[in-house]
Amino acid sequence: MTGEGHGGFPTLYEAPRIVRLSPNLYAACFALMKLMPARFMLEQAEADGRLRPGGHVVESTSGTLGLALAMLAAVRGYRLTLVSTSSLVDASFRCRLELLGATFIVTEDREGSGDQRGRLARLRTILDEDPQAYWPCQYDNPDNLLAYARLAEHVATTIGRVNCLIGCVGSGGSLCGTARFLRDLFPDLAVIAVDTHHSVLFGHPPARRLLRGLGNTILPGNLHHEMIDDVHWVGALPAFAAARSLNRRHAFYMGPTSGAATLVARWHARRNPDAVTVVILPDEGHRYRDTVYNDDWLATLEGWPPPPRDDPVRLTRIEPAGEGEWTTLHWARRSLRSLRATGFDPTP
Amino acid sequence: MVPSHNAGPRGTPHPERDTSLRHALQVGVGRAMAHHGELLQGVFEGDDGRLHRGLITLPLPALQATATFWPGRARRSIRTRPAGRTKAQRAVALTLKYLGYAGTGGDLTIESAIPLGHGYGSSTADVIAAIRAVAAAAGVTLRRATVCRVAVAAEAAADAVAYGDQVVLFAHREGSIIEHLAGEYPPFLVVGLRSRSGSPVNTLLLPRARYDSSEIGLFRALRGLARHAVQRQNPRLLGRVATVSAHVSQRYLSKPHFGRAVQLAEDHGACGVQVSHSGTVIGVLVDAQASRPLATAAAIARLALDVGFADVSTFALNADNVPLP
Repeated sequence: MTGEGHGGFPTLYEAPRIVRLSPNLYAACFALMKLMPARFMLEQAEADGRLRPGGHVVESTSGTLGLALAMLAAVRGYRLTLVSTSSLVDASFRCRLELLGATFIVTEDREGSGDQRGRLARLRTILDEDPQAYWPCQYDNPDNLLAYARLAEHVATTIGRVNCLIGCVGSGGSLCGTARFLRDLFPDLAVIAVDTHHSVLFGHPPARRLLRGLGNTILPGNLHHEMIDDVHWVGALPAFAAARSLNRRHAFYMGPTSGAATLVARWHARRNPDAVTVVILPDEGHRYRDTVYNDDWLATLEGWPPPPRDDPVRLTRIEPAGEGEWTTLHWARRSLRSLRATGFDPTP
Repeated sequence: MVPSHNAGPRGTPHPERDTSLRHALQVGVGRAMAHHGELLQGVFEGDDGRLHRGLITLPLPALQATATFWPGRARRSIRTRPAGRTKAQRAVALTLKYLGYAGTGGDLTIESAIPLGHGYGSSTADVIAAIRAVAAAAGVTLRRATVCRVAVAAEAAADAVAYGDQVVLFAHREGSIIEHLAGEYPPFLVVGLRSRSGSPVNTLLLPRARYDSSEIGLFRALRGLARHAVQRQNPRLLGRVATVSAHVSQRYLSKPHFGRAVQLAEDHGACGVQVSHSGTVIGVLVDAQASRPLATAAAIARLALDVGFADVSTFALNADNVPLP
């Protein structure tokens, strides 16, 4: 809630705006949500000596965590090396981070799968060469979850009682971290995860994904399946359409993951008019100016525009669908393993 | 005379008070109320970005301490009645010094209805009443921030009762405000419970709780909900804050029959349960604006005796619609 954090970084950068979308639906709109975990992870690491002032920070990311780390590195004087892959990093994004002083190492990704393994191997090499370097490791670092106590604080301050929290899952940090603290306040809180087809997070077999910024090809330690009541898999096309609709209806210029989350949140809020629902919208649309916000690019996509859709397809077992589809499964706070054991999961 | 305006409310060192216009000391009387433990206690981020131990007090206006200060003409020492109230004695000396009367002596009499050592803040009430008595003797009304700072200097930790019905998140070991929560307490009836086995606690000998990082995160969320509850005057949500905070407190200073109090609160649709984080008291919080709050409080009080509590008493906080003190 304060204006200036230590080290001269304005903490207001990381605060979301809480906006009411309908009588029982609130959106926590971030300019750049990852500033919250990035700052917290670096501050905790500095506090216990894992990271020295002005030290070297290394992370594998092609997304907004990289931007957040680059902003913090610029302001606080860290040296930052980011490991990314050719299929996921575009020239203008890379340029923006390099202007902040970040160094990029880009691996070759011929399959277009995101090359998680290749990136992690490369990151290991850097850590071996520089044992003093700090790897935030957002997928497994518990500080990533704990950082979202700040979001829970914002939500509680502004909204008070909350019945349902909806958010995208990539590392699991924002949804599980926020949900954990909000559930301490409101034990009946429903938690709904938004994923996309062919992400392994909730049991799909991995394959190429058109929608980026959520989903994963590896299972992060920060995703706690036992906290999740329902899962939605939103394909790229309905997500893009929902982002455009959010812009058209509310003048929010948000990224496609915010589109996916809003699609699910509107549906849930309509069906539960007495429940207060909060949806997390993680970033703005600037990075998608030439894609999601470009009609010519959208027109090149097979299946665009997707038919208007009021409801998801209800699944009784885990199964992926196409980029035009929106599916849901009642997860019922089970572990991934227990779902697999019941034969829910078609993957090996 | 105008009170000093240069006392820093956030624990910053403050310039010496301008004492060039000091009065001759008269007899002065000061009062302070007890409290019934806390609605929230933990560690909280201050404006400096650092964590501070802090609390939101639940005031108990029905119990008061009154201090009277007689300035001594010849003597330079400070005597208390009852004898041996050294913290109050120190508070008198510090206040005299602050007001420009260093070296003056006198007699301080304390009359208090507040039980000792159970987390009602008897010692802080003595200290604050003493500070106010000396200020009154000098013809001065001290601002709350000054009172708190002097109180912490006199007894190492103080509660926020100087703030009366204003809700503040108070750094009790520093005597400074972490945050003004912008409002008064929503109307409550508090059913105070003490277990038969509860023996008095010496606050300053308690080990400090060492909160882990998830508890520190939880305190952030609780602070947010407390802000909302005070701003919207929502007793249910403030009760929820108290219950969650009390559960954390159980890990550090466990109170007998705590679970029974929580059950009583749930069974009667009460707002929640608060505890004294450094004492033995437990309070069930009843929404004073709900229907028939006195009947609810009476039912809770009756059953509390059956499940092992003693010294059950009910008081009102900011509830002007019920005939209770």
